[in-house]
Amino acid sequence: MKKLLTISIVLLLTFVMAGSVVAQTEIEVWFHSGRGSEREVIRDQAQRFSEMDNGITVNLVKLPEGSYTQQVQSAAAAGDLPDVLDLDGPTIANYAWSGFLKPLGEFVPEEMEEDFLPSILEQGYYKGNLYALGTFDSGLAFWGNKEYLEEVNARIPEGVEDAWTFQEFMDITKRLQELSEVEYALDMKLNYGVNEHYTYEFSPFLQAFGGDLINRETMVAEGTINGPEANAFASWFQSLFERGYADPNPPGDTQFIEGKTALAWVGHWTFNQHKNALGDDAILIPAPKFMGGKQATGMGSWAWSMPSSTEHPEAAWEFMKFILQPEEIIKMTNANGAVPARESAIEMSELYKEGGELNLFVEQLQKIAVPRPVTPAYPTITSAFQTAMDNIINGADVSQELNDAAETIDEEIEYMGIEQGE
Amino acid sequence: MNRSNKTVIGTFLTPAVVLLMAFMILPFVMAFVLSFTNSRLIPGPRGTQYIGLTNYQKLVEDNMFWRGLKHNFYFVIIVVPIQTSLALLLAILVNQKLKFSKFFRTFYFIPTVTAMVAVAVVWSFLYHPNGLINSFLTFITGGVWGGVDFLNTTRWAFPAIMAMSIWQGVGFQMLIFLAGLQDIPSSYYEAADIDGANSWEKFKYITLPQLKNTTTFVVISTTILAFRLFTQILVMTNGGPQGSTYTVMLHIYKMAYQRLNIGYGSALTVVFFIIILIISLLQRYLLGEQREVA
Repeated sequence: MKKLLTISIVLLLTFVMAGSVVAQTEIEVWFHSGRGSEREVIRDQAQRFSEMDNGITVNLVKLPEGSYTQQVQSAAAAGDLPDVLDLDGPTIANYAWSGFLKPLGEFVPEEMEEDFLPSILEQGYYKGNLYALGTFDSGLAFWGNKEYLEEVNARIPEGVEDAWTFQEFMDITKRLQELSEVEYALDMKLNYGVNEHYTYEFSPFLQAFGGDLINRETMVAEGTINGPEANAFASWFQSLFERGYADPNPPGDTQFIEGKTALAWVGHWTFNQHKNALGDDAILIPAPKFMGGKQATGMGSWAWSMPSSTEHPEAAWEFMKFILQPEEIIKMTNANGAVPARESAIEMSELYKEGGELNLFVEQLQKIAVPRPVTPAYPTITSAFQTAMDNIINGADVSQELNDAAETIDEEIEYMGIEQGE
Repeated sequence: MNRSNKTVIGTFLTPAVVLLMAFMILPFVMAFVLSFTNSRLIPGPRGTQYIGLTNYQKLVEDNMFWRGLKHNFYFVIIVVPIQTSLALLLAILVNQKLKFSKFFRTFYFIPTVTAMVAVAVVWSFLYHPNGLINSFLTFITGGVWGGVDFLNTTRWAFPAIMAMSIWQGVGFQMLIFLAGLQDIPSSYYEAADIDGANSWEKFKYITLPQLKNTTTFVVISTTILAFRLFTQILVMTNGGPQGSTYTVMLHIYKMAYQRLNIGYGSALTVVFFIIILIISLLQRYLLGEQREVA
């Protein structure tokens, strides 16, 4: 009996001691596999974090970007989410609505939260709770070919405030189109395909016309996405293609850098491509002031969240805190050219700090960026808008298309049983 | 049948039955059940609820579904006869004892074994306004052909996809016809030769009747495959321009995986399944497949 007791004590001690040595918490982190440089940075961050003496190791799982959202949706449906999850901005509300995400309020200190760009917080908040924090945001503006702009004596705006007016913009477009080297004055990057980029890049024009995708107060699309402002926007947008200012079917991604187009409405990610090809001739031009001086640009990008199913919320937050440090943010944005998510990180970035080449993106995000609607019905809103825009670009009846979109969205909101304010 | 025989049959049947249940029957039963709910890929805070026939009512009023179905029928009516006759023609050609016939057999089959996504991407380039097909047409017409943006004009997009689908799928049907042709005993043809029949008569009175079962199979399988039209649409036009290439499968995909509306997607699947089932049974009845083994 005594012998047995001794053995059990020894065994117990062995287990306890072994346990304390191996008391490593392993957390699983999922992220979308974007460009190579982006992948390198996150892998390096995970490795350095795991090597720190904090008892946490990171199991980094990269999933292909093309099917990322679908894979996460399937995992959510199967109750199989990791401890830390990378999500595309507009999908956050849907996951939060379903209760798959843990609010981050208890982890994020106030002074840390204040350091983030307002656009990052707008994207991460759903119904008064913060669910996601990104290390970077996106920037959307016109890239201009300086040589052509000077040739047509276009005024180059300094910042958001002195942006082109609608008249000025149309006038410059017309003159650019008359240049013999220019095939199309405007480049709308339709070669990206009919997907989220349609909503990201074209809904700011809709908003600058005074319209929107949905009434943000009542969450009803009828009267907004097919309202008079939206109709004016869509007719104008269609006319850009009808008048030959923009190519409805561009053969590839290189029209702007080959000098075949003069103004490209596209995001920050083209920075390196444009700089390498055009050098100082590639300049950034703020979103023009459209109807009633209204300006709008896109915002939102990938952000980090914590599934509510995680068993290690503290460890998960440790990792998020680590990659959200200004020094780490800079490592990422240097690799992918995006806008750093925190003011303190922006100050450290050569490109984005005051006077930096891409500071305009920061200025736009602070002043004129409009979030895509934060609602669980977003997947339907964006798909209806994409379909309508695609058809409108191809010459369909504008008001009919917008009415269809409004009907689709409102029907879905009713079907989903989304209540006001949800 | 003795006991050990039963055990043997059971042993051999089990793997097939299990797989069939797990991957065919069960998903279908689930789709049927889900079609009466508002199930979402990511369920909302109120979870999944039974909503009766709401999904089916929604379906009746869903213009995009009916438009897709119309396009599916259009596709089947044009593609099935052309693809079947072309396949038969090719099979007869490569069945001749000609030089290189083995080479051509392989050659015609290559598009079928190539992944549809890859084929569709390549054909998108071919159909581009500055692509190979337009350049070729401009060249042979001496510049009269002005170049058409095939995939972006409502008139051309669907025919362009049909042509590409026929090209891609014809090799498979050819192979089945070829097998059917090689099954016809040569003594029939020899007898016909003695009777002085010409090639056309031999084709009409021997080849065609002997290929009846094969033809039935080819027509039904081509019809089902044609109804399932999806990959090339998603890659090449995504249903556009202006919905001119929209199909039911694309609609189901969009509802279930873009709008996350699994319940409604399931209802669409059930209805579509029933439509295809009825058509297949009808075809079988009309073509009168003979079951007895020759």
